[in-house]
Amino acid sequence: METTLILYIIAGIISIIIGILLVSFTNISIYVKAKEKKTEDSLYIKDFDDKIYNAVKEVISDEEKAKILNEKFTKIFGSEIKKQIENQTKEIAFKYEKIINEKTKSEEIAWEKYKKVVLEKKQTESIIHSIAEGLVVVDSNGKVIMMNPSAEKLLGISKEKKIGKPLLENLKDEQLISLVKSTPESREKEIELLSSKEETKKIIKASTAVIENEDGKTVGIVSVLSDITKQKELDELKSKFISNITHELRTPLVAMDKAILLLLSSKKDEFNDETKEFLFIIQRNLKRLTNLINDILDFSKFEAKSIKLKKEPVLIEEIIDEVIKTFKSWADTKSINIVKVCQDDLPKVNLDPLRITQVFNNLINNALKFTPQGGTITIEAKSNPEKKLLEVSVKDTGCGIPKEELSKIFDKFYQVSSTSSEISGSGLGLSIVKEIINLSGGNIWAESEGLGKGTKFIFTLPLE
Amino acid sequence: MDKNIKILVCDDEADFRKLMNYWFSSKGYSIKEASSGDEAINIIKKEEVDIVFMDLKMPNMDGIDTIKNIRKFNKEIPIIVISAHVDDPKASKAISLGVSGIFYKGADFEEGLALLESVLRTHKKLKDK
Repeated sequence: METTLILYIIAGIISIIIGILLVSFTNISIYVKAKEKKTEDSLYIKDFDDKIYNAVKEVISDEEKAKILNEKFTKIFGSEIKKQIENQTKEIAFKYEKIINEKTKSEEIAWEKYKKVVLEKKQTESIIHSIAEGLVVVDSNGKVIMMNPSAEKLLGISKEKKIGKPLLENLKDEQLISLVKSTPESREKEIELLSSKEETKKIIKASTAVIENEDGKTVGIVSVLSDITKQKELDELKSKFISNITHELRTPLVAMDKAILLLLSSKKDEFNDETKEFLFIIQRNLKRLTNLINDILDFSKFEAKSIKLKKEPVLIEEIIDEVIKTFKSWADTKSINIVKVCQDDLPKVNLDPLRITQVFNNLINNALKFTPQGGTITIEAKSNPEKKLLEVSVKDTGCGIPKEELSKIFDKFYQVSSTSSEISGSGLGLSIVKEIINLSGGNIWAESEGLGKGTKFIFTLPLE
Repeated sequence: MDKNIKILVCDDEADFRKLMNYWFSSKGYSIKEASSGDEAINIIKKEEVDIVFMDLKMPNMDGIDTIKNIRKFNKEIPIIVISAHVDDPKASKAISLGVSGIFYKGADFEEGLALLESVLRTHKKLKDK
């Protein structure tokens, strides 16, 4: 009877202790703190010990037995709790260490990144500082944010006086003001900086780009300035040289051409057929050489942008009639028919008649060269009132152009790969045509179904 | 057309002068040649000349300056300028000096002849008035 009672008591005590332990485990953080502070720790153990003793005493009246039981339980659970605490502490310490490590690591990464950014910033700054091109950054209010030494030198103004101030302030030069006022449409412009001395006169090219933020709002303008004075001088020298040399080349040609013409017209009867044939050969080749030189001269002028169109109201049909007349005899030798298809009542167009004639000459010249015996060349002109354009085309039944080469034929010196070596030219004819059409405000392109299927050149001119 | 007309051809290029001489002589005109502006001025001062072909591009005194000098003492004589190319900026400058026509070196002599005769006709009409 007594033993069963004791077993009941023990079971009761165990359940109480388990209850206490559960509470203790849930408050494990308190244990950790308790471990850190020794005094609190011993107090706690004492408290724990008292609790067990009181619980045992409640069941066992024999004080001596209760004491022994208390000691035993305290020992067993004390060591068990200690073990658990140690384990938990270890685990927490490990986790803490891990967190600390990770934190340190990310701090290190951040520091590395910071160092990299600073280094890159320094590099960018030193690049901007040392490039020969001037760089000016202006915010949306027109105030200077940045300016490198080259820009200071080019513009003749100092950074200290300009940073944070409107660029327009103290700028007296109108040309320079136009730089800051560049619109997105005028991305590149040339500015001539006037100076009292000829040697210090500068021509600056400014390439401007608008800086936008993520929302696409304009926040400023960055301008890259480069000194193109030398380049301009060289360009001028080049065009002058070409112009002079072509003049010198042309003069003797004209004299030769005239001399042969006089021989063939007035002394014709004195020559036999063979001599005449040789004279014709000389005449033909002189003509070819003259055309080549004229092309080169024209092209150098277009390159130097020194050609100005002399526009006047012109009836395109009249020009087409004239051109057909010019080519009639050549076309007849190859039995090629030149057909004109003109819409009635075509309006007058503001054009340079000489230059547009040159366009037709070049196009028909090509068409005749590349069209075999018995072919047809069709010149068509019609108005497109909706687009306010005059559309003109020159179509032939010649050898055609491979599709992949259509876009290249307007490049200077380009010759279609399939061209036989017998057909020659300066390779400048179509480039000149394109320059003239573009200068006249129009567009030109070519269409061809491929080799052997003829070519159609179409150009547009603006109707006023 | 009255063929008793004397043409002065002023050009520093001897070959071109000779060709002009040959061509216009063959058409019945009498020709006088000058190789420089100075020479042309002297001839106009001393001799009876009816019309002048004046090259624009010459060393020392060019065609424009020669025309200006001629006009100082002779406002009547018709002058046709000889220009190398259609785009010659000097040609348009010459027009403002009151020349009667431009003959391009590359053009046919026939054109030169037609131009000469039309200028002579206009000049004669003006004189008759």
